[in-house]
Amino acid sequence: MPQLNPEFFVSQLFWLAVFFTFLFVFLWRVSLPRIATVLEKRQNKIDENLSSAKELQEQAMEIEKKINDQINKAKLETNEKIKETINALQEDVSSQISSLDKDLEKKVSDAEKEILKSKDDQMKNINNEIVNITKLTVGKITDIELSDNELNKVIETQKGSYN
Amino acid sequence: MAAKDSPLKQFEIDPISNIELGGYNISFTNSSFAMLITVLVITLFLTLTVNTRSIIPSRMQLISELMYNFIAQLLSDTVGDNGKRYFPFVFSLFMFVLIGNMVGMIPYQFTFTSHIIVTFALAAVVFIGVTILGFINHGIKFFTFFYIPGVPFYMHPLLIPIEVISYLSRPISLSVRLFANMLAGHTLLKVFAGFVVSMPFFTGVFPLAFIVALTGLEILIAFLQAYVFAILTCLYINDAYHLH
Repeated sequence: MPQLNPEFFVSQLFWLAVFFTFLFVFLWRVSLPRIATVLEKRQNKIDENLSSAKELQEQAMEIEKKINDQINKAKLETNEKIKETINALQEDVSSQISSLDKDLEKKVSDAEKEILKSKDDQMKNINNEIVNITKLTVGKITDIELSDNELNKVIETQKGSYN
Repeated sequence: MAAKDSPLKQFEIDPISNIELGGYNISFTNSSFAMLITVLVITLFLTLTVNTRSIIPSRMQLISELMYNFIAQLLSDTVGDNGKRYFPFVFSLFMFVLIGNMVGMIPYQFTFTSHIIVTFALAAVVFIGVTILGFINHGIKFFTFFYIPGVPFYMHPLLIPIEVISYLSRPISLSVRLFANMLAGHTLLKVFAGFVVSMPFFTGVFPLAFIVALTGLEILIAFLQAYVFAILTCLYINDAYHLH
């Protein structure tokens, strides 16, 4: 078995020591620190991104809260405005209605007055017509000349009995 | 069977250039060459793939990072925070054994982990290092490691020697495990490769198919043994910190 031949034991040990020592020192001083830096850098980057993501999330939540607040505020304001407008409109309408009512009442009373006045006028005219017709009729039939005052007296008394 | 066809011939060491230092033969051999290839593969791979140091890794960089994290995780799981100081050593050990095994899987390439002297040297470094570490951490109290608490007192004369023997056999079990696995695997491959040639007609395809499957298994074992070597080193380091 060649493994048990001591001829090359020293040589094997010597080169093992040389190469393994070189490997150990090289990895320890060069390769491993490099890999460690990369891993650390990546971890830092991940941590950084995570923390910035958290920050952004917080900011977003704050903004959302603000938006919600503003929406609520706007809703309240709108409701207020709607109420105000409705009230104002109702007042306006009722005042217009009342002014219309007044107008109408006035017009009605004016018309009534006019009607009464024209009625009176007509009544006066009726008296005169009656006097004229009576005078003509009595003159044609009896040749008696009646004075206007007498006739008016009679008519007044008669009217009183009709009224 | 002629010596040149022996399945163990692949483990023979051939000097590439003869060097002598202070009366010792330190020839650069095929074993040394395999170590050189291993060290070059590891250092170049781990350096070049991480050269860009990109935050979003390339596939190759990811492999290096995965290896790094694999051993870092192993060490923190078994030893805890104390283990960070030994990370470069455990990582070098794992990579050296792993790539040494893998280089050995290349046909006609020498497998230096199949030599007991190499694996024993590595295991001895671990054993001596851990023992020194235990004395640094606990001083003379390190000997209480062999005393198992909660056992009837009359058992101690039996248990303490067992503990001492098991502690002292650690480098042997650690080195023989790796060495024997590599030796057996490669010998088996060579034996079946011999069958492929010597069997009549086309029946040689059966051992060939077996070799293909066995190669897959050997690659798995190559990784597994490196892993076992690393995890046992971690456990020994842990023992040096927390006695019992």
